[in-house]
Amino acid sequence: MTENKNPEVQKADAPKTGEPESRPSRRGLFASIGAGAAAAALVNPGKIFAATTPPIPSIRIPKEVTDTLAEATRIGDFGEKGGMTGAEVFAKSCKDEDLAALFCCPGNYQIINAISAAGIPAFGGRSEGSMTSAADGFSRCTGEVTACSGTEGPGFTNMIMNIAVAHRARTPLLVLASNVTIATDDREYFIQTGYQQPTTEGLKKYGKRLIAPDRVHEYTAYAFRNLKTGVPGPVHLDFPGEIYRARFTEASQLKEYYGKDKYRTESRPHPAPKDLAQAVDMINRAERPVIVAGHGVFFRKAWEPLMVAAEKNDIAVVTSGPMRGHFPDEHRLSASLSPDAFMSADLVVFVGQYSMPTKQEWRFNPEAKAIRVNPTGEDLGRNWPLDLGIVSDEAAFLEGLASDLPQKKRDAWVGELASARQKYEKRLLDEYEQGVKHSQATNTVHQAVVCKEVHDFLYKGSIDPKQTVTGWGGWTIGNCAARWLRAYRPGQEVNCPYQYSAVGPDLAMMIGAGAAVQLGVGPQAPYKGAPVVVLTSDAGITYSMFELDTAAKYKIPIVCVVFNNNAWGMWPSAVGTPRSMHMYLFQENLRYDKMAEGLGARGEYVRTQDEFRRALKTSYEVAAKERVSTLINVQALKEFTSGKDYPPGNIINPEPSVGALAH
Amino acid sequence: MELRRWKAVALLTLGAALLVSGDAPAKLTRDDAQKLKSPVANTKKSIARGRVIFMQNCTSCHGENGKAEGSLVADATDLTSPQLYKSGTSEGEIFHSIRDGAGDQMPAFKSQLDSETDIWNLVNFVRTLWPESARPAVQDDAK
Repeated sequence: MTENKNPEVQKADAPKTGEPESRPSRRGLFASIGAGAAAAALVNPGKIFAATTPPIPSIRIPKEVTDTLAEATRIGDFGEKGGMTGAEVFAKSCKDEDLAALFCCPGNYQIINAISAAGIPAFGGRSEGSMTSAADGFSRCTGEVTACSGTEGPGFTNMIMNIAVAHRARTPLLVLASNVTIATDDREYFIQTGYQQPTTEGLKKYGKRLIAPDRVHEYTAYAFRNLKTGVPGPVHLDFPGEIYRARFTEASQLKEYYGKDKYRTESRPHPAPKDLAQAVDMINRAERPVIVAGHGVFFRKAWEPLMVAAEKNDIAVVTSGPMRGHFPDEHRLSASLSPDAFMSADLVVFVGQYSMPTKQEWRFNPEAKAIRVNPTGEDLGRNWPLDLGIVSDEAAFLEGLASDLPQKKRDAWVGELASARQKYEKRLLDEYEQGVKHSQATNTVHQAVVCKEVHDFLYKGSIDPKQTVTGWGGWTIGNCAARWLRAYRPGQEVNCPYQYSAVGPDLAMMIGAGAAVQLGVGPQAPYKGAPVVVLTSDAGITYSMFELDTAAKYKIPIVCVVFNNNAWGMWPSAVGTPRSMHMYLFQENLRYDKMAEGLGARGEYVRTQDEFRRALKTSYEVAAKERVSTLINVQALKEFTSGKDYPPGNIINPEPSVGALAH
Repeated sequence: MELRRWKAVALLTLGAALLVSGDAPAKLTRDDAQKLKSPVANTKKSIARGRVIFMQNCTSCHGENGKAEGSLVADATDLTSPQLYKSGTSEGEIFHSIRDGAGDQMPAFKSQLDSETDIWNLVNFVRTLWPESARPAVQDDAK
């Protein structure tokens, strides 16, 4: 045992408000050292240890990180000595396609090095799965194509859950992995052999193991055609050594080597005039029409024509999908907080709703008529019987509506939306008031209290309510956070568990979103540099906590609120079955804040509403000013998940609404 | 004797509360719930409304067919088998489970549903999931 001379570590060691008294301290341990040593320490406390043990160094970012990030970019050139490698050809094509960012772990070295050298923002992290979700998060708040990469074998298979998450969210994610060599296929030669393409079967839009070096550009074109047209989804390319190591001294050595203006088109399907006219007629005849604005509206950046069309004809709008904000929550026509009004809607217009619910899953009147607009035809009519199906680009359709719809006022419908919203917000406040009582009775913090505090801080205080990108995950805290977080502009909220309902990618996903905000990409440009906030659970943080190191390394400021209820949120599933509860529980009172400190972030520990309020404010300020992340460990109780003793318990949110996670 | 008198007073109070507000008392014991009578007739119209509410609020745990075959919740009740109900099968007990929650996992829906009438509609629908011999008779809708 040694005394720590590092002032930062000593500061962290100082007792803090809220620390349990039983916490073993260094002082306490010193107290147990033998009397002789203690006596000697009294005589000359500094000398005893200083002579034998050097001070523990502080956590710091290596100089090579900042130095190499500042280096000039280098894109391969056929004219250079040795020409271009296959990896450089691929990286140049990605650069030409404006690939927004790469998130990776080392492995697939030539490819990731070439991409970063080409000037595409690249981030190296601690696990391939989390880096995949970081890329997903970047895309969810920008709409841009992003890439992730891992090494062959274990690195690649570590990405699988996160690829599946991206697939269900229809994220335009370019999944890259090295994959030994063609020459050693089927021989289990040395290590890490794997059949990657069958492994991602069912989890991708398109995939290819590249097997001809001179077709590397051709398959890059395949990838971007799939990533940038139609309904997006992950594209998986695996690179044997022969591909990325190949060298080309002139373009003619590559097959189909021509630019993106020739290998894909920006042309989009427009609605047939008769279809558009019928849609306009149906909307105009309806008394209570609602537009469900899904992923496609965001990806096609169609929020302006959506707003014009909605306002022109007083159409309600509810947003859906893995991101929110393409219609602002506070707008008088927003139905995102008015789920009780949906039963009155007599016409539902799905625009870019890629993950279709079945008719029974959503709160609409089963008798309501339905129009669905999708960029491709094969999905029209699946799950939901349609009165009109239209193959069209989302932006083109909404521009058509904005142009052709007549001006119309629907005061009764707008009034009903307002009344339903009022009722919804009252329910939230009732839930919060119950949460306050539960918190005070237990000296812990109930999920409703956490969420209301975050809500008030981000949207009711001195911060521009449009500034902060938020994300949420976990079971008890996630369902609650979804009800309280708001989106007032495109890309402001990331719905981390969307559709696949994975517990765990939340923090990593929001680090990716944070990178997008730091770079000011797309809709994040006006808020460049702002911190991001994520609410997650103690179960969820397990999967990506080490990426706090990545956030610190790249100075991506994030405030991560961990709802620490000592258990998997599904613990009630063990009630009533002998010998099962132990499988659902963790040690109680674990200190995720301390773990965060060990990873170069700040840690805060709170057990009361006031402590949480103060910690949130301080953490956000530090994030904004110093680009330092904080993990706030909010001590809670697992019993808050159940309504038995702490009503109302964990409520699954109605769909569609702010809290929807299935579709 | 004393207990019987207390129960009688409680029942009278319960009845009075129903008469005055139209709603069931805010706090119900299992015994109170068992005696609670539905103010909503078991009609086709009520069942249809209950079905809509069921589809929108209950299927994630109990499944579209009520058999709770999904994996979201380990011990969600199979609503098609009344003998498996853990918190009672009288209309009042089912109402109580929906409104106030049941066991460790089922949340209270009183803040989620529009009115107690809708909870009673849901009760009427839930009982249509039972085997035919156990279902209460369906009454004619009022003209």
